Amino acid sequence: MSDAPEKPARNLRSARVERIFDHAPGIRSLFLRLAEGRALRFVPGQFISISIPLEDETRTRAYSIASGSEDAHVIEICFNRVPGGRGAAWLFERGVGDTLDFIGPFGTFTMERAPEVETVLIAEGTAIAPIRPMMHLAARAKEHAPTLLLYGAQSPEQLLYRAELERLAANDRDLRIESMVVPDADCAALYERLAEETQKRWVNGDNVRVRQFYICGVGKGVLRLRDLLRAAGYERRSVHYEQW
Amino acid sequence: MAKLRIIFENGGPERVIEFNPADAPFHHDGRPGSILDIMLGHKIHLEHACGGNCACTTCHVVVKEGYGRLSPPEEQEEDMLDKAPGLTPTSRLGCQAVVEDPNAEITIVVPKYTINLASESADE
Ligand SMILES: Cc1cc2nc3c(=O)[nH]c(=O)nc-3n(C[C@H](O)[C@H](O)[C@H](O)COP(=O)(O)OP(=O)(O)OC[C@H]3O[C@@H](n4cnc5c(N)ncnc54)[C@H](O)[C@@H]3O)c2cc1C
Ligand code: FES
Repeated sequence: MSDAPEKPARNLRSARVERIFDHAPGIRSLFLRLAEGRALRFVPGQFISISIPLEDETRTRAYSIASGSEDAHVIEICFNRVPGGRGAAWLFERGVGDTLDFIGPFGTFTMERAPEVETVLIAEGTAIAPIRPMMHLAARAKEHAPTLLLYGAQSPEQLLYRAELERLAANDRDLRIESMVVPDADCAALYERLAEETQKRWVNGDNVRVRQFYICGVGKGVLRLRDLLRAAGYERRSVHYEQW
Repeated sequence: MAKLRIIFENGGPERVIEFNPADAPFHHDGRPGSILDIMLGHKIHLEHACGGNCACTTCHVVVKEGYGRLSPPEEQEEDMLDKAPGLTPTSRLGCQAVVEDPNAEITIVVPKYTINLASESADE
């Protein structure tokens, strides 16, 4: 497909696959080294926008920057297979040494500085990707407000970075992790459980409404959590969310 | 037939698309029948860094004519628009604003900063 002449000059970056890590069947991380020794500054929660050249089209797909380290020359993305998903399938075909093009970083689902008010992070499965750098940001700070990650998945192996996140929490009295496995369930059942927990703890549990929330996941369940919290009296701007 | 007139603030040539909203989707990113869907399906580029998922503002457009003929913005779009640079009272996200009316005449401006957003970003 030829693009129209008004297509703007995009600041396309190039990166090379340096390492591949399989978390579990169908869940993978690619470690991407930026071309020409470049570095990428990003705010925890942001994503890059990858150009995916398929035979019949070039697809644009967002992948959160999942990096846990501060090495800005290599970025990690973490993704899973999607039924019928050609973009994700293309990423799974990339091998070490392959290059890919992207623009970014983008996104406003961001944590600019370590939490100054009580913070609740809610994620499921691969959607831990944008949350992981937030956890590191909090852990690196000398002080931060109590921060809890509520992390759900359909099987224990889909709780990614678990040992690392538990280590962060063990060394920081204001950082906690609670994981929840809803086995053999589809996403709807998982969100049902996440919504029940949210209702019990942060809606019915007390009258405190100065917490902030970061919610990330696939599908409408994310919006349901958003609505639950906003309807309970949390400020709109305190309920951050990203729906994939 | 509905009509979508596109003005590029960076001086690119104006484009007009005539289409039947009932034929949507025209492409596969953004809501079916959205401004993004219509433009991509007619080979006219509009940035869509998040893949048309209402998670960025790179598809921000300003509606000059026919605002009321578009699907009303939902809360998620309003949340994103709040963060869009150069927000105006008739700003919309191209991936969310759907043209449903078969006789709609819509004019949009693709602002310069929408175009620049994809070409200026932070590296060292
Ligand atoms: C801001 C943002 C950040 C994202 N970050 C990541 C990331 O870090 N890792 C990642 O794996 N994906 C991420 N995604 C999703 C990713 O951009 C693609 O939508 C996904 O890889 C499917 O693309 P596709 O072309 O293969 O499938 P398509 O044919 O485009 O399939 C789209 C369908 O897949 C669903 N979907 C999207 N992501 C997933 C998923 N991970 N698992 C199951 N279903 C999904 C969508 O809700 C939609 O129904 C992100 C999306 C957004 C908007
Ligand atoms: S393409 Fe990202 S919000 Fe429309």
